[in-house]
Amino acid sequence: MKKLVLALAALLVTAAVFAQGITLAQNKPEIDAALKAYAAVWSKANNVPVTVKSVGGGTGMDLDSQLKADLAAGDMPDIFAINGLENYKEWADLVLDLSGERWVKNTSVAFKYEGKVYGYPVAVEGWGMAYNADILKKAGVDPKTLVNYSGYKAAFQKIDAQKAVLGLKSVVSMAASLDMGWVTAHHNFNSLLSNGLPYGDLSVVNALLAGKVDARRLSEYADWVELLFKYADKAVLTTGNYDAQVGAFASGQAAFLHQGNWTDPNFAQAKVTFPMAFAPHGSMARATDGIFVAAPSFYCVNKNSRNLAAAKKFLNDLVFTEAGNKYMVLDAGSIPAFSNVKLNPTGQLSRSVQAWAAAGKIYSWNQYYFTEDFRNKTLAPIYNQFAAGAVTKAQFIDLMTKAFQGLAK
Amino acid sequence: MTTRRAARLVAPEIVAVVLFLLFLFPFFIVVVNSAKTPFEITQNPLTLPTDWGKILQNMVTIWTSVNVQYSSSFLSSVIITVASLLLLNVLSSQAAWVLVRTKTRLSMGIFIIFVAAMVIPFQIVMFPLLTWFREITALTGVRLLRSFTGIILAYIGFGMSQSIFLFHGFIKSIPLELEEAALIDGCRPVQTFYQIIFPILRPIHATVLVLNGIWIWNDYLLPLLILGKGNKVMTIPLAVSNFAGAYVKQWDLILTAILMAMIPIIIFFLVAQKYIIKGMVAGSIK
Amino acid sequence: MRKTKHPPVFWLFLAPVILAFALVIVIPFLLGVYYSFTNWSATARLGDSLKAVGLRNFAGILKDPSFTYSFILTVVYTVLNMIVINVVSFSLAMLVTRKLKGRNVYRAGFFVPNLIGGLILGYVWQFIFNNAVPSIGTMIGFASWADAGNLLLAKSTTATIAMVLVGTWQYAGYIMVIYVAAIETIPQELIEAAQIDGASPFRRLRAITLPLTRQAFTITIFLTLVNSFKQFDVNVSLTGGGPSAMFLGQPIYGTQLLAMNIYNQGFKSNDMAGGQARAVVFFLVLVIVSIIQVSVNKKREIEL
Repeated sequence: MKKLVLALAALLVTAAVFAQGITLAQNKPEIDAALKAYAAVWSKANNVPVTVKSVGGGTGMDLDSQLKADLAAGDMPDIFAINGLENYKEWADLVLDLSGERWVKNTSVAFKYEGKVYGYPVAVEGWGMAYNADILKKAGVDPKTLVNYSGYKAAFQKIDAQKAVLGLKSVVSMAASLDMGWVTAHHNFNSLLSNGLPYGDLSVVNALLAGKVDARRLSEYADWVELLFKYADKAVLTTGNYDAQVGAFASGQAAFLHQGNWTDPNFAQAKVTFPMAFAPHGSMARATDGIFVAAPSFYCVNKNSRNLAAAKKFLNDLVFTEAGNKYMVLDAGSIPAFSNVKLNPTGQLSRSVQAWAAAGKIYSWNQYYFTEDFRNKTLAPIYNQFAAGAVTKAQFIDLMTKAFQGLAK
Repeated sequence: MTTRRAARLVAPEIVAVVLFLLFLFPFFIVVVNSAKTPFEITQNPLTLPTDWGKILQNMVTIWTSVNVQYSSSFLSSVIITVASLLLLNVLSSQAAWVLVRTKTRLSMGIFIIFVAAMVIPFQIVMFPLLTWFREITALTGVRLLRSFTGIILAYIGFGMSQSIFLFHGFIKSIPLELEEAALIDGCRPVQTFYQIIFPILRPIHATVLVLNGIWIWNDYLLPLLILGKGNKVMTIPLAVSNFAGAYVKQWDLILTAILMAMIPIIIFFLVAQKYIIKGMVAGSIK
Repeated sequence: MRKTKHPPVFWLFLAPVILAFALVIVIPFLLGVYYSFTNWSATARLGDSLKAVGLRNFAGILKDPSFTYSFILTVVYTVLNMIVINVVSFSLAMLVTRKLKGRNVYRAGFFVPNLIGGLILGYVWQFIFNNAVPSIGTMIGFASWADAGNLLLAKSTTATIAMVLVGTWQYAGYIMVIYVAAIETIPQELIEAAQIDGASPFRRLRAITLPLTRQAFTITIFLTLVNSFKQFDVNVSLTGGGPSAMFLGQPIYGTQLLAMNIYNQGFKSNDMAGGQARAVVFFLVLVIVSIIQVSVNKKREIEL
């Protein structure tokens, strides 16, 4: 009984103490441990308790739902992560104007709306088609041919024919279950939106939002999706989770992986040694030369926070202190979005992203111009049906077209 | 004994054993795979592990992991369950007693309303409950959301209908003579209830404790809404879902976490088996 | 002096539960019904620019194929679940009430799954269906079990069956205990007399056991009906609402039951008023069906 009372007292005391600290809510469980460790160190140095909440994707509660519940409970975090315009609009009333912050001058990818800065860019991320350079070499496929649909088709066919010799289970490791809807309806969907277009070009996005579909572009895109699904491992495609998808590539069972540079920590954990890099998506008939790079995720500051000074300092310290830089680049494996940070991440895919970015060969991330609800509830099941072979390519095109036309209403 | 008769005697035994093993098969899977590495688990989920010591390693990882917050969730689950159970039993039994003993239309009406509420699904109140609790906090300063107070209050609210129903049925069968004798002896009603009636209710107490206990300990949706994920107060199902719902599914740790969530209640059951089953039977037939 | 009809102790003892009842059930319920006729979103504070919109939310339900699908699916799931659970638990009860050695152990074993929360059960079974079943298949020679397309959770139809399996595993023991208690109240003499008369086991079942356990059936059918209809935990962890299915020409989440549909509408689609309207419909259906079920069963009990 005494123990219970003591425990209860301890909990109440911690509650009281935490009331003066700051809370940060973000959506990447893979960096949770590193972030918590850094927060603990920063906490001690600045005498402000920091609570980190990482809410991962998948079904159930994702970060956005959690934030809405937090708001309803009167418990909104001081710093929270958003991704893109649609997400910003949901929280517009709560977000503090950060235009005057010190770090704003050091980055070109902060989230801006109507001229004011509202979001701190968490990291530069990128994805293309990750390939295992060793396997491609053995199979006699030159990565430089991977620039359009026909290039990929030839490569996939060639590799598929030599599957047994190369020890592969499938050519591509791709996931399309509803749980992994973010791979299809967010990332892959973006190929339709921005592949081959100048950075920041929103012509396709605006057309689709208005319900106007470019039939040829959609048709070429559908060919690409069909190709990916055809040469993917059925198990991973229909029921595999993130672990299974990344694991297949990491263990050399697939030659290509449809993921981004955030997988680097997974490869480090799996002690992967083969050389890998990114190649452009083959979603068009003509050649495209670039991968999708952006700072997709932003930290916003809650303007009703009870500790604005501490929240702002936390963000500034990430950029301007050595410990902050080390955490960002080395522990969390992010490519820094700030010009003053001299450290470089160690992961191969991150390096690949930096190489493409340095060459200026990048395309934008435009999927966030569509609401999460649209992508998850409407688009993801369409991809899932296609992946399961329940609809034909023509039906897929039809369903996608109808979905976009529905946006115009 | 003819072979046919022998077969008829043995057949049910065999069927029982087979079904028994089938029913416990999932537990076997959980225990066996808690001691393997994630790779081993996906490759050979059915084989016995090579190193049973891994279970302990995994258990320590989970217990100390900041991600899962298992130790604090365990404590919170215990506090919430015990407090809710005690309050539900005390408050429902005393309410049921006065409802039974007071034979007025108002009393009958109140009872019927309580019982009718048993059908109300959680979904219809879950959204407004949040805003309403927040309003209460704003009006009175009593913190209901993300706190022990709020969730225990919620459990009392949701559990009292069924509990009062069960106590009501049982109390009806207690003869009035005991209470009348007490009255003559000069006992006041409160004394009469707590000193005489309350102890007699032991069997139905057991039933109510068990039914409410199983529900509250394993409840997911109500804590998800009132306590939220990743906050200071979490229950075990929340902690497990926090862990298992992330992008990366580490089956070795998830299964160990599940094992650790199951152990307390299985131990409790093995110890209190007789009471539990007896209580359930008594409660449902009435 | 005549005693007051409601002595102070009446109100004293009732006050706490009435308070809890009002705060936790009555007020939110009334608020909820009210909100379903407005444009309410939980991010708006009570009374802040809240507009009445009449039946718009309810009309929206009719336009949403996912709700109709969830409704149909929940009905199908409930019926299947009710049948399977009751058949299985009654059979288990018959088995366990024979003079078997160690029958208490068996009884305990069948009951234990009920002690584990639905959420955790779902994760365990997801693992079993996706990882263990293929292994078993390869072991006993059914290599097709390891084929990705044949995984129970890969198609929405079989995934629903998987949910019924898990639901049965979870509840059978609990319902079995109720049947056991009912069976054990049947006087042994009746059964022995029937045996002497030469009645077959089947005839004994029909003429003696089933009729005398009618009261238990009312309870068990009510419990399985209501619990299946409200299923949420297992839904979340076992299938998460997936995989997709085609309904009215639109791909939707294929194993999303009503409770999850309501929850998602409110929290994921950010349409609290819409979610609330769905919850009202959910409640009405549940009430109507329960009333019908209990009165039908009670009539049959009395007929005896």
